[in-house]
Amino acid sequence: MEWFAHKWDIIDQLTPFLLQGLWTTFKISIVAIFFGSMLGFILGVLKTLQIYPLEKLINTYLHLLRGSPYLVQLYIVYFVFPSFNISWLNFDSFTAAVVSLSLYTSSYVTEIVASAIFAVPTGQSEASRSVGMTKAQAYRYVILPQALKMTIPPMASVYVIVIKSTAVLSVIGIAELTRQGEVAIMRMPGDIMFIYSLIAIFYFFYCFPVLRFSKWAETRFGSIGIDLK
Amino acid sequence: MSDMMIRIEKVCKTYHVKSRAEPVRALDNVTNHIDRGEVVVIIGPSGSGKSTLLRSLNGLQEIDSGAIFIDGVSVTDKKTNLNLLRSQVGMVFQHFNLYQHKTAFENIVLPQTVVLKRSRAEAEAIANDLLNKVGIPDLGGNYPSMLSGGQQQRVAIARSLAMKPKVMLFDEATSALDPETVGGVLELMRGLAADGMTMAVVTHEMGFAREAADRVIFMDAGAIIEENTPDQFFDNPQSERAQDFLRQIL
Repeated sequence: MEWFAHKWDIIDQLTPFLLQGLWTTFKISIVAIFFGSMLGFILGVLKTLQIYPLEKLINTYLHLLRGSPYLVQLYIVYFVFPSFNISWLNFDSFTAAVVSLSLYTSSYVTEIVASAIFAVPTGQSEASRSVGMTKAQAYRYVILPQALKMTIPPMASVYVIVIKSTAVLSVIGIAELTRQGEVAIMRMPGDIMFIYSLIAIFYFFYCFPVLRFSKWAETRFGSIGIDLK
Repeated sequence: MSDMMIRIEKVCKTYHVKSRAEPVRALDNVTNHIDRGEVVVIIGPSGSGKSTLLRSLNGLQEIDSGAIFIDGVSVTDKKTNLNLLRSQVGMVFQHFNLYQHKTAFENIVLPQTVVLKRSRAEAEAIANDLLNKVGIPDLGGNYPSMLSGGQQQRVAIARSLAMKPKVMLFDEATSALDPETVGGVLELMRGLAADGMTMAVVTHEMGFAREAADRVIFMDAGAIIEENTPDQFFDNPQSERAQDFLRQIL
């Protein structure tokens, strides 16, 4: 009984503190997901336009971002960018977090959007162009609506990865969930296991609905109307 | 001089295929024409260039040299508004290519509102008429994946007709259909021919060629080997290759 009382006491004390951290995690991840998705969508569409130099440029961008750990990218944005002596690159930690995480997100979204567009059968594009649609009209009315449906399930997985990646931000002093947990552990070092479990549960409550949505979206949008024989 | 709808002048097209050392000569100096209201059936063995020729007529396939004119307008001229030209040339594909995310009805409405800027109401009225005309008045609400091949091809034909095209191109329109649905689609095409539509039809349906064509073009290895009226062509083919081809398929 005493054990439970003790643990309940920790929960009671730490919850507001951890919720603060979760709120920061939420803010940063939402902003990064938003801007990362916008950028990724634009780059993904551009990548499919078959303009050779543009495609090479985007691929280089993707390789750089996907071929290096997020932690290194974060350090570069936060510690290296200011050394360029360009005033607007002198980010505070929150901006550095959002910028680096947005770029990281965009690299995944670009690939998802581009491969979804490529997965729309060429006949769809031919049928659009042969009735006289411009390339832009074919994208707008036929190709993108079909491609975007296919992106929903993989997009949700990326969003969960991004949410979990915010844990790394503790290294530049952002008081997100993991950081708050670590501070709490300094106060109550004897309960390290319990507090980390608590943090994990908080992450779970954020990520689980996203994954559930992904699962739902997969059955709802994954195949409807798209007959990929 | 007759009234030419399609003029094809010395058209050449070469593909470079990685798996083959020699480039493939898909169209070898093809010259021909199709008159207004004429139904021309193009036949030949696979790889003879007939689909390439058909797809070059609306610029879906770029050609290396030569010129193509639809109703006097050059397809190959960079200054031509190719989108406008394509809106006047209907194309029906082997695999239907209906917009998968739209119902049959919306498939017919969409190009009208987007390309021709028709009002929604007008486009819907036309779509309803055409669904009737192609014999599936009750299936407009279905998505393509819920329709049989024959029904999908009817929708595709209706979608093309909604643009009020000057010419209709059929690229093996019945090759992917179940045998029992082929007849209905061919019947529809015969009806169009009888209504005076100018048609270029790539097909393996020799019965259709014989009955509905004004002229048969036989292609092999990217060149037109022989052309004649269907009766003359089928009963008395001149070239050895056409004789071989007909022996094998008939």
